[in-house]
Amino acid sequence: MKWKHKDLLDLDVLQAEEIEHILHTAGPMKEILQRPIKKLPTLRGKSVVLLFYESSTRTRTSFETAAKILGADTTNFSVTQSSVNKGESLLDTARTLQAMNVDLVIVRHASSGAADFLAQELRAGVINGGDGQHAHPTQALLDLFTLKEKLGGFQGKKIVIVGDVLHSRVARSNVLGLKKLGAEVVLVGPPTLLPAEMNYLGVKISYDLDAELPGADAVMALRLQLERQQNGLFPSIREYAKLYGLNLERIRKTGKQTVVMHPGPMNRGIEIASDLAESPLSVIDEQVTNGVAVRMALIYLLIGGASSDVA
Amino acid sequence: MESKTKNKIMDQDGIRRAISRISHEILEKNKGTNNLVLIGIRTRGVPLAERIQQRILEFENVQLPLGLLDITLYRDDLSTIDVQPVLHETRVPFSIEGKVVILIDDVLFTGRTVRAALDALIDLGRPQKIQLAVLIDRGHRELPIRADFVGKNVPTSSREIISVCLEETDGRDEVLLLEKI
Amino acid sequence: MWLRQAFVVDPSQNLAVERDIVLKDGVIIEIAQNLQPEDVRAVLGLSNSEQIPQVNAAGKYLFPGLVDAHVHLREPGQEDKEDIRSGSRAAVRGGFTSILAMANTKPVIDQRALVEFVRIQGQRAGFAKVYPVAAVTKGFKGTELVEMMDLFEGGAVAFSDDGQGIQNSEIMRLALEYAKLTACPIIAHCEDNNLAGQGVMRRGEASARLGLRGIPASAESVMVARDVLLAGETEGKLHIAHVSTKESVQIIKKAKKLGIDVTAEVNPHHLLFTDEDISLTATAYKVNPPLPTRADQEALIEGLLDGTIDMLATDHAPHTWEDKAKPFAEVPFGINALETALAAVWQGLVAKGKLSIQKLVELWSLKPAQRFGLPAGMLKIGAPADMVLFDPDYKEEISAANLESKSLNTPFLGKEMQGFPVMVWVDGKLLLENRQIIDVKN
Repeated sequence: MKWKHKDLLDLDVLQAEEIEHILHTAGPMKEILQRPIKKLPTLRGKSVVLLFYESSTRTRTSFETAAKILGADTTNFSVTQSSVNKGESLLDTARTLQAMNVDLVIVRHASSGAADFLAQELRAGVINGGDGQHAHPTQALLDLFTLKEKLGGFQGKKIVIVGDVLHSRVARSNVLGLKKLGAEVVLVGPPTLLPAEMNYLGVKISYDLDAELPGADAVMALRLQLERQQNGLFPSIREYAKLYGLNLERIRKTGKQTVVMHPGPMNRGIEIASDLAESPLSVIDEQVTNGVAVRMALIYLLIGGASSDVA
Repeated sequence: MESKTKNKIMDQDGIRRAISRISHEILEKNKGTNNLVLIGIRTRGVPLAERIQQRILEFENVQLPLGLLDITLYRDDLSTIDVQPVLHETRVPFSIEGKVVILIDDVLFTGRTVRAALDALIDLGRPQKIQLAVLIDRGHRELPIRADFVGKNVPTSSREIISVCLEETDGRDEVLLLEKI
Repeated sequence: MWLRQAFVVDPSQNLAVERDIVLKDGVIIEIAQNLQPEDVRAVLGLSNSEQIPQVNAAGKYLFPGLVDAHVHLREPGQEDKEDIRSGSRAAVRGGFTSILAMANTKPVIDQRALVEFVRIQGQRAGFAKVYPVAAVTKGFKGTELVEMMDLFEGGAVAFSDDGQGIQNSEIMRLALEYAKLTACPIIAHCEDNNLAGQGVMRRGEASARLGLRGIPASAESVMVARDVLLAGETEGKLHIAHVSTKESVQIIKKAKKLGIDVTAEVNPHHLLFTDEDISLTATAYKVNPPLPTRADQEALIEGLLDGTIDMLATDHAPHTWEDKAKPFAEVPFGINALETALAAVWQGLVAKGKLSIQKLVELWSLKPAQRFGLPAGMLKIGAPADMVLFDPDYKEEISAANLESKSLNTPFLGKEMQGFPVMVWVDGKLLLENRQIIDVKN
C-alpha cells in the first residue's frame, strides 16, 4: 500500500484500509518494545519536534519514546521553556520550525484546529497529538489496536463510550475510527454532555448506561474534566459517578468478558472505580504500551519513506 | 518492469537437492546440531529455513529453533524507494545469546539485505557466530559479505533478474533467470 | 454632466426604466427619457458652442448611492486594521456613498469630541459620507448612558454598543426611553453573554464535528425578544443589527404586527454562507453573530422578502491578516465586506432570481437612509448626486492588490466575482472610474 498522507490530523480522512495498515504496522513495532535493545536505525538523522502547548506528560513521553526507538532525534518545544511564553504566535513558531527544516512536528494545543493550521503552514509532516475538543487520532488508533488485539476484529462488536462526549476529542476520533472499521458504537452520558448535535456522528446516543451495557464487548470510560461541574454541566460528582461511573459490579451487566478501557489519566472513583481499573478486564496499562507501538507505526509511515512519497 | 525468461536455473528437484546439501553442510561444518538456531529472512528466507529445519529433523532427529526476521526497519534505502515496504513481524521466540545462528535467505546479491539482517540480529543479542546460507549467489556484491552455504552460484549480468519461486509463497518451486526488456 | 441611457433603479419613485440624468453643482437637476443635446444645454445653461461632459451608461444600471448602516472603520485606535480614509474609499469602491461608523473603536465613541472627530475625519477623506454612531453606554461598560443629546448635536445618527450586547435589561430600557430625546434609533447587538459563552461558531452539528465551541441561536434570539418588548414598553426606536436566526425573524415579525417601532438588518454573509461552510482553517468565516444553519438562512431570506427585515448591511469588520492567521478559536470575529458585498448579493441572490433589483436597491439604499434620517437613497431632482453606475457583467478577482481596505479578511479573497460598480459619484463628484478610486486633491 502506498502511504500518501503528509500529516495525521484526524481519522476522518483515512480509508478503513489505511487504518488497518497502521494497525498492521503497529504489530511488529510492539514486538520491538519487548526487546532488550529498544533502538532501531530506521529514522537516523530525522528530526522530530514535540510541540506541546498543553501539559501532557503521558502523550508527550509516548511520542518521544516512539520516535527515539525508531532512531529519530527528538526536540521538546514545550511552552514553559520556549518563546511561546514571550507571546510568539503559533504562526511564527511554525515559521521557525520550517526554517530549521524539521521532518515531523507533533503538536498538542488547547485550540481545535491548531494542528490543521500547522499542517497548512509547514512542509514537515504534522501529527495531531490532541487539539481542543476536535481530535486525538493517535489515542483513537491505540484504542483500535488494543480492541483488535482483544476482540479479534470489529464487525458486529458493540463498543460503549461513556462520559463527557461533548468535550472529548478522544471520543470523536474513536467514533470515526470504530465506524469505519464496522463496529457498533453507543455513546452514553448525561444530556448536557451529550447534546443532540452529537448526532452528527451517526451513532446511537443514550442517557442510560445500565440499559446499554448488556452485550457490550468493550466499554470505554472518558476522563471527566472536573471543571465541567463548576460550569454547571452536571450537578455533582457524586451524582455523575452514581449514574455513569464504571465499577466491577456494574460491568457484569454486559454478560461478557468485556474489555474495559480508559485513555488516562483516571479519576478513580468517579468515571471508573479502582476495583474495575485493577481487574483483569481492564486493559488500561496495555493501552499505554500499545500507544508507543501505534505512534512508532505512524511516525514510520509518515517520515520513514521516500520524501517524494509524502510530498 | 517488463522482463522475459532466459532460462530455468533450478526446478523442484534441483531446489530439493540443494537444500539437502546445504543442510548436510551446516551439520558438517558445525559438527552436529549443538547450539544451532535457524533464522529466515522474510519473505522467501522463511520457507527455506523451514525446509532446512525439516531436513535436519529427518537427518538428526533434532528440531532446531526457528526464527523469522523482518529487516525493513534496518534497510539503508528506505528514504529512496518509492513504495514503502509493508512491515512484518520479527519473531525470534528464543535467545540468540551465545548461539550459532544460521541466517537464511533466497538470493545473495549486493549484500545489503544481509548487512541489514546482521544489524537486526545483533540488536536481538550477541550470538557466538553467524553463518549465512543462500539458495542462489548471483554475484555483484557491494559490501564485503560472503555466504557460508550456497545452493548454486549463478554468474549474472546487471540486466538480469533472479526469480525464486517457492511452493509456500508462490505456489511452485523453481528458480528462473529473467532479463529486463 | 449628462449621463445617458442608464437603466435607472429608484424605488423611491418606483422607477426601473432607461433614463438620462443631468447633474449640476452636486445635485440632480434633470431626469428624463431620451434627452437631446439642446435640452441638456438648456438645463445646464450652456451655450451652443460649449461641450457637454457626458457619460454613456447604456447597458448599465444606475442606483442611488448605497447606504450601509453597519461599518467598522477602526479609527481611532486600530488603524492597522482600517482607518476612516481607507474604509470610506473601500465603501466607494463597493458602491456605498453613505456609511454608519460603529462606535467600538479605541477609545469607544462615547463623547462629543470623538463623534465630531469621526465625522470630520470622514469629511477630510472626502469619499463616502461617514455618519458616526455613538455608544449607548460610557466606555461600552453597559452601566451608564452616554450624553445622548450632546452626541446627537455632535453628529451621531444612532446609538449602539455594537460589538457586544447590553446585558443589563434596565440599562437597555433606559437607553430606549432616553434616546427619544434625539429621535435616533438604538442599534441593538443582540447577544446574551452567558449563552454565547466561549463559543466561536453557531452551535449545532457543524460545531460538534469541528470540536469548536458553539453559540446557540438562543444567545441572539432571547435578546431580540427582550429588546422588542422593551421597545414596545418604552415606545422607543429600535434597530436590530445583524439578524441571524429564524427565531429572531419570527419575533421581529410579531413585534411589527404589534406596532412596535423596530427595524432590522441582515448581513450578506448570513444570506450566502452557512455553518457548513466553516472549516478549521477557514478563519475568514468566523463572524459574530456566527454563520447560520441552512434553515435559519431560509428564514432570513424569507424575512427579507416579506419586509420583516428592512435592510441589508455589511457589518464590514476588517482585521489584519496576522489577526486571522491563528487557530480558529483564537481569531477575532469579522468579515471584510464593503468591496465584495454588492457583488456577493448580486451573484448569490439577484442573478439567481431570489431578489429583484428594485428590492435590492430599496434594502440597501432607501430603507437605511429613511431609518437613520440621511439625505440619501433617491435619485429625485434636487437630491444630492450620490450615484452608482453598476455593471452586472463586470468580473474581478478579489485580491490584495485591488482592495482599498487595509485588511484582507474576506472569504472571497482570490475568487472571481461578478457585478460591480464601475462609476460612483458622491455629491456629483466622480470618485470611482474603471474600478479605480479617483484620488481627491483637497
